[in-house]
Amino acid sequence: LFGRIPFTDKVLDDEDLQPLMTDMRQLLVTKNVAADIADKLCDSVAESLRGTTVGKFSRVSVKVREAMEKALVRILTPKRDVNILRDVAKAKAAKRPFVITFCGVNGVGKSTNLAKICYWLTHNGQKVLIAACDTFRSGAVEQLRIHAQCLGVPLFERGYGKDAAAIAAEAIQHARREGCDVVLVDTAGRMQDNEPLMRSLTKLINVNNPDLILFVGEALVGNDGADQVVKFNAALRDLSDKPNPRLIDGIVLTKFDTIDDKVGASISMVYATGQPIVFVGVGQTYTDLKRLNAAVIVDLLLK
Amino acid sequence: MVLAELGNKITKALVTMKNSTILDDQVIDDMLKEIQRALLESDVNVRMVVQLRENIKKKIAAEDAGGFNKRKLVQQAVFSELKRLVDPAGKPYQPKKKHANVIMFVGLQGSGKTTTVTKYALFYQKKGWKTAVVCADTFRAGAYDQLKQNAAKAKLKFYGDYTETDPVLIAAAGVEQFKKEACEIIIVDTSGRHKQEASLLDEMQQVSTAIQPDDIVFVMDSSIGQAAQAQAEAFQKKVAVGSVIITKLDGHAKGGGALSAVAATGAPITFIGTGEHFDDLEVFSAQSFVSRLLGFGDVEGLVDK
Ligand SMILES: Nc1nc2c(ncn2[C@@H]2O[C@H](COP(=O)(O)OP(=O)(O)OP(=O)(O)O)[C@@H](O)[C@H]2O)c(=O)[nH]1
Ligand SMILES: Nc1nc2c(ncn2[C@@H]2O[C@H](COP(=O)(O)OP(=O)(O)OP(=O)(O)O)[C@@H](O)[C@H]2O)c(=O)[nH]1
Ligand SMILES: [Mg+2]
Ligand SMILES: [Mg+2]
Repeated sequence: LFGRIPFTDKVLDDEDLQPLMTDMRQLLVTKNVAADIADKLCDSVAESLRGTTVGKFSRVSVKVREAMEKALVRILTPKRDVNILRDVAKAKAAKRPFVITFCGVNGVGKSTNLAKICYWLTHNGQKVLIAACDTFRSGAVEQLRIHAQCLGVPLFERGYGKDAAAIAAEAIQHARREGCDVVLVDTAGRMQDNEPLMRSLTKLINVNNPDLILFVGEALVGNDGADQVVKFNAALRDLSDKPNPRLIDGIVLTKFDTIDDKVGASISMVYATGQPIVFVGVGQTYTDLKRLNAAVIVDLLLK
Repeated sequence: MVLAELGNKITKALVTMKNSTILDDQVIDDMLKEIQRALLESDVNVRMVVQLRENIKKKIAAEDAGGFNKRKLVQQAVFSELKRLVDPAGKPYQPKKKHANVIMFVGLQGSGKTTTVTKYALFYQKKGWKTAVVCADTFRAGAYDQLKQNAAKAKLKFYGDYTETDPVLIAAAGVEQFKKEACEIIIVDTSGRHKQEASLLDEMQQVSTAIQPDDIVFVMDSSIGQAAQAQAEAFQKKVAVGSVIITKLDGHAKGGGALSAVAATGAPITFIGTGEHFDDLEVFSAQSFVSRLLGFGDVEGLVDK
């Protein structure tokens, strides 16, 4: 019945739309969009089509697809652009280092993608310092030391068990003295519901007021993805004692090479926060860092 | 445990069904929709969810003989299908005392292998087994230091080679050394890998061929979504995955993606990880999990009628 070509103009009602939206919802969930976000998207697309007229000889399913495509492109098109090289230059003019902090849950790829971004920055002529502020996980400092050696940049570290906020502060001081352009601050992974750990991240942010706060999430994540980024933001806001707390400025979405066409996590995370995806991680070497291509993502989602 | 949230929703759907005065197709359909929704929100594979719903419907249709208690029938069908989801037929490997049990850990990047290797080793060491760990991850920066530091903290025997680049050689040498030392649990940690890179899966197979493990443990992050099943299948195709450990269940994720992986590998879940510390490891039993999940009294009676 649906998708059939009507021979007269037709005003769309719920009866026309519901079965198509059910299929659309299932498609999005199969592509790893979080279930409730798929719902909301389908509701808003149905809402936008209800009462509109489809001309004769055109398919309702094509209209639904077009409307969904538009909605998805809109979500993925950043309202604010993050231009790191421009902002680094501004900081340089002000004779201070530009500070980027990486945060996120455990094992998503914070340290590795920090190293990739370091590679990109050094290739763009920036003098970078890496600050080892994961003082908890075994091997975290050595992991960064190896990257720093390979990339030919200095590492600022104070070993394990120390206060991460204080080490970051010291590293930034050090970078200032040494005339570094950028400081990349690595932090320990933490679960979004772990209040003590979220508190210590908030402290690190408050004490050091970084120029850019990047949330690192992995493209493999399912329904939890939106929750992670929303709760990191909420913690930075609610656990801060500042009148205007700093929040997440952008997202790094990693492990994009491991998901084939199941690219829905990108939609879930951006939809949940309105923050742009600044980089996409597509592998385990330094050059495996890309920009998000919204058109490609939308194509994969609706295929 | 957060997986229980899924259980609550399913139980609620079943209770609603039980309390409705008439039990017609509409009521059953509503209940199945509720269950389907709960499973999708927990990241269970879409195809499996659709299949599960079909199976339940078929069972109900086939066995509904009027006189039989239909409510019980429906409940039974839901229960046995869910149980199939988390509890495959396979029994997990049981390490034998006074034998060199070689256990190889595999999984996607960052899933929690190295941390769980340490927890698993400590679990057996505390029970009096002679335990050792081998670092055969030559790829990830700092992998050697990570396991070495963990082993030192947990007072475990450690084998690694900072300069050798071939994981097959290291794994074989480590296992051989610890066999000579009469260790009973020898755990081999490997690099993270994924199905899209065939050479990585080949490497895993070569390590497995070289050390002939008694069990291969597939470590899965509880937050994984719809990509879980395809990844798990790819691992299983290359090596004989014998058990699954689901990590990071101290987080907010419900673990449904990981459950789909269980169905894909046919291997049972043996432990769950519930934190970053070495004692954050719990033994998992699918049977008691499902009964807790659904909160119904006579579970055995329900399943094995
Ligand atoms: N395939 C793939 N693997 C990645 C990517 N980014 C990171 N990884 C791998 O993911 C694993 C974890 O990366 P890390 O950078 O250590 O993750 P982390 O978030 O710093 O982890 P913790 O500090 O322990 O919370 C490593 O094996 C990385 O090589 C990516 O884009 N693609
Ligand atoms: N909260 C929590 N974190 C965990 C758990 N298990 C592991 N982690 C953390 O997850 C991160 C990644 O763990 P690893 O053990 O390095 O993961 P891996 O699979 O060995 O990673 P690769 O070797 O890079 O593939 C680390 O930050 C661990 O502390 C868990 O059960 N709960
Ligand atoms: Mg790290
Ligand atoms: Mg590891």
